Amino acid sequence: MRSALRGRLTSYAFISPWLIALCFFIGFPFLAGLYFSFCDFPPLKVPVFIGLENYAELLGDARFHMSLGVTMVFAAAGIPIGVLLAITLAMFLNARIRGQSFYRVIFYIPHLVPTVVVAILWLWIFNPEFGLLNIVLAQVMRVVDGWAGVFFDLEAASAGAWFVKREALILLAAPLTLALTVWPAVPKFLRPSARLRQFLMTCALVLLVLALVPLADAVLHRVAPRDMAKLHAPGWLTDKSPLPSDVPFAPSWALWALIVMGMWGVGQMAVIYLAKLQDVPVELYEAADIDGANWLQKAWQITVPMISPVILFNVVMAIIGTFQVFAEPYIMTGGGPEDRTYFVALFVYDQAFQYQRVGYGSAVAWALFIMIVVLTILAFRLSRRHVYYAGR
Amino acid sequence: MRPVHFGLLALIVLVALVGVLEVKPALEDFDPVLHKEFADTWADRVHLSYWEKWSGFEADGCQAMCDAFNRSQDGIYVHYVRTSQVDRKAMLAAIGRDPPDILGLWNSNLVPFADGGAIRPLDDLMRQSGIAPDMYIENYLKLGQFRGKTYALPTAVMTLALCYNKEHFRAKAAELRAAGLDPDRPPRTIEELDRYADVLNEFAPDGTPRIMGFLPTEPGWYNHAWGYFFGGKLVDPETGAITTDEPANVRAYAWTKRYAERYGRDKLLQFRSGFGSFDSPYNAFIEGKVSMEMQGVWFPMFIRRHRPQLEFGVAPFPCAEGVPGPRSLMEMDVVAIPTDSPHPKEAWTFVCWMQKEGLAILARIQGKNMPVKDPPPWFHQGHPNLELKVFEDLALSPHSFIVPHTLVGQEYRDAMNRAFEHIWGWEVEQVCAAELAGLTGAARQARIDELCRGEVERTLRAVREDIERKLRQKLERERFQPRRAQ
Repeated sequence: MRSALRGRLTSYAFISPWLIALCFFIGFPFLAGLYFSFCDFPPLKVPVFIGLENYAELLGDARFHMSLGVTMVFAAAGIPIGVLLAITLAMFLNARIRGQSFYRVIFYIPHLVPTVVVAILWLWIFNPEFGLLNIVLAQVMRVVDGWAGVFFDLEAASAGAWFVKREALILLAAPLTLALTVWPAVPKFLRPSARLRQFLMTCALVLLVLALVPLADAVLHRVAPRDMAKLHAPGWLTDKSPLPSDVPFAPSWALWALIVMGMWGVGQMAVIYLAKLQDVPVELYEAADIDGANWLQKAWQITVPMISPVILFNVVMAIIGTFQVFAEPYIMTGGGPEDRTYFVALFVYDQAFQYQRVGYGSAVAWALFIMIVVLTILAFRLSRRHVYYAGR
Repeated sequence: MRPVHFGLLALIVLVALVGVLEVKPALEDFDPVLHKEFADTWADRVHLSYWEKWSGFEADGCQAMCDAFNRSQDGIYVHYVRTSQVDRKAMLAAIGRDPPDILGLWNSNLVPFADGGAIRPLDDLMRQSGIAPDMYIENYLKLGQFRGKTYALPTAVMTLALCYNKEHFRAKAAELRAAGLDPDRPPRTIEELDRYADVLNEFAPDGTPRIMGFLPTEPGWYNHAWGYFFGGKLVDPETGAITTDEPANVRAYAWTKRYAERYGRDKLLQFRSGFGSFDSPYNAFIEGKVSMEMQGVWFPMFIRRHRPQLEFGVAPFPCAEGVPGPRSLMEMDVVAIPTDSPHPKEAWTFVCWMQKEGLAILARIQGKNMPVKDPPPWFHQGHPNLELKVFEDLALSPHSFIVPHTLVGQEYRDAMNRAFEHIWGWEVEQVCAAELAGLTGAARQARIDELCRGEVERTLRAVREDIERKLRQKLERERFQPRRAQ
């Protein structure tokens, strides 16, 4: 009995530094924040209880709504892209290729770079005048437009007129080659041999890419001429206009810049996926091979369900992380242009530290806490049907 | 023998190690190199900490002032502590009741600190020490006052003037003359400024600017104050009423909007993104990308540091026609004594000396003007800022202005900056495409101007209503707020 007690005491002694710190530095501010959220509390004065006034105010606070909107849009656009990219990256890193460990380290390294350094680095990359991204983008767009210009009249497309040139007929060569290669109804005497078929398949795919790029470029010039004009030299962090410009609630160019920058740290997420990917039983793939499943079917029917608990975990963490995005917009944009990157964490900071409204800032923080809890519960509820916990 | 409880033992050792190793360095620690000349009196002195914000040559000025004080007597030693984001750190220190002895802030920080009882009123001390309020230029003194009491005194002060690139004026002398303008002098009215700017502009074949004669967004630090140059104001100094959307202010912001419309928001965005940071040779004015700019008294020092050969001139920033001038926004850095200052008496001794003797040292090295009406005779001899007279005259001008303190000063300033940004970026041709359809030439331009003006009015009205609501709320809640005992 005594030894059991001693064992328990020893355990508590070991975790006590963490436990004490948790109570003092997290538990106490957490509860104090709840009390302050019902107070008018300029930090140099005594908190005065004002009931639900702060919460009532935030219901009608347009700037709070704006910041919440920015955060939501960032989450809606950034999380799916991040998850997709991380899974794709994890799959590549999972492939048996030479230097696999090297690539894994390379993709994880960005996560180790401090946020401030990353923010300053990307400030340079996004500079519209001499930033690396715009220099590359300008060259790429020049080549793409030049190529598309052979087949389509891009100026006419931007003006909303008929834009297909006669030369565009050449582009049909790609689907024709593809059809010739894969269509089973091609007459036997026209059907190529297996080796020739492989060669034609490769040619067809190359041709398809070469055809799709100018087609997409021309169509985009037709449907979004303004965005395409901007794509040659975007203002990135300084541009408040939405992209795509005609889609309601679309992220601004500035917010897209932060989303793109967010992908910088995707390696960390990919490593978690990778760990789970390596946990997927090989027998399942072998069985699928026997059944004649192709790569896509195996990915969709085996890989995704097997790693779905990790996808859920990463999505929930990303939702929570989105509500905490602070350093990047604080350093790079200050919330601008015109509040288009004014995340809700910046709003809380401004209220508490810039405008000395700790009570109101606490109310907003608590409202966010409740939102995160609700969103997390929702994510778990929605995932019940789609997340597969093997053996449970 | 009882077994050793390793968990507890490790914890005790850890705590003891932290306690021993984490010894806070004290101000009084003597450095045989840095403090050599004070070795004899070091132990007998009261050591004061003075938190200030400056870096670079401005910090050198502050250090020189502190050194001069430390040499002038042997009872007190002031340690100048360079502190970035001094306002936030001082706020936290004040909340924790562990502030420095002396605190350097910006005048815009005065209200929360004074209203929260974190800094001491200085009127009685000033009276006892013979510091007469009328020795100061009135506006500077007012910037240190809140609700009739003086809580802070000036350190570094500023006025704003027009800096213009004489090389650009000379290069375009013929064109300026052809436009009926004198290339040997700067513009005297806003209307003239626009005409000068028009001639000085240079564009690449695709319409992207190479040189802009003038840009209201550069440097962009005083966007809240444009209205004053058109005869407007943000706060009525008599009644304290918020006057954001009065006609002169609307006129001012409509004027700034015209620059965005005339030269294209996107093109200007692109152009501005190539500007380097303020304190660098790639500063837009120093590099020669902008010919005229509203800047503070410090700017000539920065120009000479980064591009000594640049020929530039300084003149009062022009006002709109019919608005009396010369005028300038007046702001300043202040020094205050925290309520919980560990050595308030000694701190005042230093502040008092600073106001009587130290400011001249500080202003000389920082290249700025002094907040007093009559600087000492030697102050101007060899002053590094050759354009100082313009800034001094502006400080003494009866038309120069301050933005009076309000309880929502920071919110107001931020709201005005956002309003400016909104007005500048408001895409009239996108938003009002239907209203502009079919219009061409002058009729179209007139309609654009009218629509922009409407948007300016709406934006400024929204700011006024928002700030009035916040002010009302603060005043209502203030009635229930007990002030901290001083």
